[in-house]
Amino acid sequence: MTMNPVRLRDRLRGIVKPAATSPAASAPPSAAEAAAGGSAPAVAPLPSAPAVRRSSGIEDTLGGAWHERGSARSFVVRRRFEADQEYGRVRVGDVASALESAQGGAGLVATGTPQVPFVFFDLETTGLSGGAGTHAFLVGCASFDADGAFVVEQHLMTDYAVERSMLTCVAEDLSKAGALVTFNGKSFDAPVIETRYLFHRLTSPCTHLPHLDLLHPARRFWGGDEVLGCSLIALEQQLLGAHRLGDVPGFEIPARYFQFIRSGDAQPLADVLEHNRLDLLSLAALTARLLRLINDGAEAADDAREALGLGRVYERAGEVARAEHAYERALDLAAEQAEARRRSLRPSGEWAWTPQGIRVEALRALALSSRRSRRYADAAARWRQLLDLPGCPGAIRREATEALAIHHEHRERDLAAARMFALKSLEAGSEAAWGDAVRHRLARIERKLLSEQPLLPSLPSPQPCGSRTSGRRTSS
Amino acid sequence: MNELTTTTDTRVRRPGRDGAFDAALDRLAPGRVPDRPDNPDGHVTTLRRMPAVPAQYAAFPEVLDPRLKVALGTRGVSQPYTHQAEAIEHALNRRNVVVITPTASGKTLCYNAPVLHSILQDPSSRALYLFPTKALAQDQLAELQALCEHIAGATGEQIGVYTYDGDTPQDARRTIRSRAHLVLSNPDMVHSGILPHHPRWAKLFENLKYVVIDELHAYRGVFGSHLCNVLRRLRRICRHYGSDPVFLCSSATIANPRELAERLTEQSFEIVEQSGAPRGEKFFIFVNPPVVNQQLGIRRSYLSETRRVASEFLKRNLQLIVFAQSRLSTEILTTYLKDDFENEPGQPERIRGYRGGYLPLRRREIEKGLREGSVRAVVSTNALELGIDIGALDVAVMAGYPGTIAATWQRAGRAGRRASRSAAVMVASSAPLDQFIVRNPSYFFDASPERALIDPDNLHILVDHVKCAAFELPFTPVEQFGRHDVQEVLGILAEQGLVYRTGASDDPDQPSDEGQWNWTSESYPADAVSLRSVSSDNFIIVDITQEPRVIGETDFTSGPSTLHEKAIYIVEGTLYQVEKLDFEGRKAYVREIDCDYYTDAITYNRVTIIDTFSEPAVASNGEVHVVSRVVGFKKIKFYTNENIGSGELDLPEQQMHTTSYWLTVPAELMGVLPFASDDRRDGIVGLSFAMKQVAQLLLMCDAHDIGISIDMEEQSPRIFVYDNYPGGIGFSAPLYRMHDELLSATQRLISECPCESGCPGCVGPVGNTGPLAKTAALRILDLLLADRIAA
Repeated sequence: MTMNPVRLRDRLRGIVKPAATSPAASAPPSAAEAAAGGSAPAVAPLPSAPAVRRSSGIEDTLGGAWHERGSARSFVVRRRFEADQEYGRVRVGDVASALESAQGGAGLVATGTPQVPFVFFDLETTGLSGGAGTHAFLVGCASFDADGAFVVEQHLMTDYAVERSMLTCVAEDLSKAGALVTFNGKSFDAPVIETRYLFHRLTSPCTHLPHLDLLHPARRFWGGDEVLGCSLIALEQQLLGAHRLGDVPGFEIPARYFQFIRSGDAQPLADVLEHNRLDLLSLAALTARLLRLINDGAEAADDAREALGLGRVYERAGEVARAEHAYERALDLAAEQAEARRRSLRPSGEWAWTPQGIRVEALRALALSSRRSRRYADAAARWRQLLDLPGCPGAIRREATEALAIHHEHRERDLAAARMFALKSLEAGSEAAWGDAVRHRLARIERKLLSEQPLLPSLPSPQPCGSRTSGRRTSS
Repeated sequence: MNELTTTTDTRVRRPGRDGAFDAALDRLAPGRVPDRPDNPDGHVTTLRRMPAVPAQYAAFPEVLDPRLKVALGTRGVSQPYTHQAEAIEHALNRRNVVVITPTASGKTLCYNAPVLHSILQDPSSRALYLFPTKALAQDQLAELQALCEHIAGATGEQIGVYTYDGDTPQDARRTIRSRAHLVLSNPDMVHSGILPHHPRWAKLFENLKYVVIDELHAYRGVFGSHLCNVLRRLRRICRHYGSDPVFLCSSATIANPRELAERLTEQSFEIVEQSGAPRGEKFFIFVNPPVVNQQLGIRRSYLSETRRVASEFLKRNLQLIVFAQSRLSTEILTTYLKDDFENEPGQPERIRGYRGGYLPLRRREIEKGLREGSVRAVVSTNALELGIDIGALDVAVMAGYPGTIAATWQRAGRAGRRASRSAAVMVASSAPLDQFIVRNPSYFFDASPERALIDPDNLHILVDHVKCAAFELPFTPVEQFGRHDVQEVLGILAEQGLVYRTGASDDPDQPSDEGQWNWTSESYPADAVSLRSVSSDNFIIVDITQEPRVIGETDFTSGPSTLHEKAIYIVEGTLYQVEKLDFEGRKAYVREIDCDYYTDAITYNRVTIIDTFSEPAVASNGEVHVVSRVVGFKKIKFYTNENIGSGELDLPEQQMHTTSYWLTVPAELMGVLPFASDDRRDGIVGLSFAMKQVAQLLLMCDAHDIGISIDMEEQSPRIFVYDNYPGGIGFSAPLYRMHDELLSATQRLISECPCESGCPGCVGPVGNTGPLAKTAALRILDLLLADRIAA
């Protein structure tokens, strides 16, 4: 069974080689990416011999220093973006003041009760899969100081052996935070860092911090653009007018870290740190914009979609009046946009975000909101408006006609109208179960009609859907 | 048309039940009840009576938590059987134990009692249960939850029992991680979902007292070799968290249960073999359908024979289960029996089919019908072989030999109440293994020859798990993992950049024990490793009948022989024909087809010996290089197995290193054979065909697990029986040790076959081999065995 070592090695090489080329790990940066990367050093195929030894000159290469926190130490790179610095169309100091004035709105979109200071938080990791073998090698934390400057502190795991010590320092730093602000942090950054703390049997500082994950509101307010999607980079271009030069593509980041670990040369990481800093800055600026919008209300919304998004945020927070106002505003803006669109003949993207789609959403939200606060006549008016919209989707038609049938049967006691809506509802529905429920309602309405108005002219068969429903019993 | 005699309550113990048995048995085997040995003519070749055995009780161990004893008492267990008491005693004393148990002997108590005891004593205790399938875990869940409810009701102790598998919703997972005392899972989930996320399971691993492995015998060959490595990883993680769990295993009867348990877990084991459970009187019957074509050795369809046998019991109102080999034959037999016993309109159906692919709701309804007696017969695939609670039936009929002795006993165990008669019938098909068993009943009834074998140190498998282990926890420079030097493995992984040794001294001449091997890849290695195959390289099968969709996968080695162009590929009884095989892209495009044949690839193998582990002799074992190429295929008609056509193929060669047993027929022996050289050659071919069948039985493996190759080049021909997996899977060394048994059993298989000059049941169908194949093969065996005795 025991093989001599030389033979074992040969055999192993035959086995390991083909399996080791995972597409992501081995993909060399293409010429275009290298060009875009400018001075970024290409990630060389894995070197067999370590060239430079570690710890020589990371301080110089990356411009950081070792921070001591009690018995733990961590290598931290600290950078300030001054208040008067420009980032795309925005000024850093303006972001700071916007945040300060609008921070109250954070409670509407975060878990927990956010307090100041907000810490903007973003990890760079050795992989995307999670699990015990995925490390957060760079922990970026940022906040604004009293002068309106944006201060970024990045903890770098200079070696696997220092992870525990680094995590201890990060926990120490985060202990002063009042809220964590991330982009997709609920699904990624928080679980990944929590796993690292669990791995080292440490308590994670993130678990109980209030958390604002910008991704979800961002999707609702701005995302889904057919070309750019809802990545941070797309949003910063679209909303902040910021353009990165020589940014490291995300897929290249783990390989750069592994190269650093093998060679000790921190140069490939310089651009990774810069990428992380810009992510944090964009995150802060977008958060400011969102909170400002929540604070200022629907009047400040730039387009129908933002207004609709605001309606949702307010509604979830229980602010009915503000929510309804925002929906009304969305309707107005959608009408304007529809007009503008008709003139410009712009191709429309995803239907949900066309003025048409927003109108449907806003009307439906208003109808439901009215019904919840027992303003039934208002609700019925909204449902009718919905039915009048050309191109209203079947599912919504169904919902509206059913709501109107109920309304007329039970509240208005206008059985003829109820019957008319129930019949319409049958036309709108397509599932058998749905049809059965509606036929049940129809049968009841007709029994009531007969008992109230025995002299009503004979009714047509309540089976407008033809052969699909033929043979079914429609009344008991 | 027959009529089922129905009563309103068929569960009533009627004195007529035993009478019905006698009548049915007498119909099948007139005048031969009760016991009699074999009778080679007639359809019933064997009828064994196993007398009733009374229960043997013992007391629960003194230390067992009294609250648990009370809870068990209310569940009807006030006194354990002897084997349960023995197993519980071992477990409470922290000794690993493997319990060999027939069906329905109460094996679950053997592990549930110590596990629940440990939790009652210390609520932080945890246990992990491993089942080979998700369905088994679900079935145990119900039983454990009921027991835990009793405990909670009586003591207020809340014991959390949860399954954790691929079906567990994401949002429930966090709750389970924090609340579960008992986690019911399967090896695949532990491998890809639990171990790589061990930090989130810290509570479990810190407090893991017991690991339960149910159906231990299922873990053999590739699956077992993987499980051994998964358990190596599990114990490594446990060491990290400071726990050292005890292993509690249960296994069906095989030749080497303790050896298997010890190899899988790399721990020493106690064994509990003597069941104290009671058993009713049981009849075991072998039926061999009559030969309808003596020359070709073709027998009457075993499905028709199964239908006849089942009817004899059904019309006497005995409740039965019929096991079929495939989903297709399940449907056929269900149709047959429904035709014979048509339902009265408006009555619930009394004959039901049951197989994978049915919706859960329908399955639960059938299970309930069986328990209540409203379903009188169920035709099932192996889906009902294990676990699922369907109560105890009167008769189990197996259409075809289930492939292993252990599985046959498990299926037979579905019939049998503790206090009354039951019967199990095995209807042999014309497949060689069926014919061997039916003609050699002592193999079946006496000590099982089946050995469950694994080779966890197969380099392909080992390397995959070293990657997974490195991802989970860095390796230290002195750590060991398996029998090969894992530091060498890590060195090679480092060459590929998958791991990196940090903190080591820079001087290669001064190796140090400092530092560790860290995972330095962004991949998640467990995702690329399937526990059911050796290498992650595989072929994907795409159905292009309508919108293209993936309907299956096949491992790389068997790809060319099953997915060549024009091959018939079968999934759940649906037939597909391969239209195009994209060898480089590892994809086969198939389209649904309606045809009455399947295909069998013709493969040419060439085996070269690389290294011989044994002294030069007639039998040897060692390492070999196998080059194989699929050169054509035959079309074989369903049921009759007629060859109805063929085709040529041009596919790339495949190569692999593996281990092999081989038989060298000495030149002197070949010289004294009184046959022409062609006939001698036929003799060798026929011998290899028969040897493969017997090897399959002894190694407890499937036909595709081993390969056969003949080397006729020299004066003394060789027959290779090799492990059909790269790196070998542990069959060849044991087969080498069983050489004598292999030869004598092969001799018996051939000599006892009633055919004239070869058939599919011995040396292969006429047409494949020459007219003297059978005679020559037997002569060679006689001479080999005579030499053996002389020596």
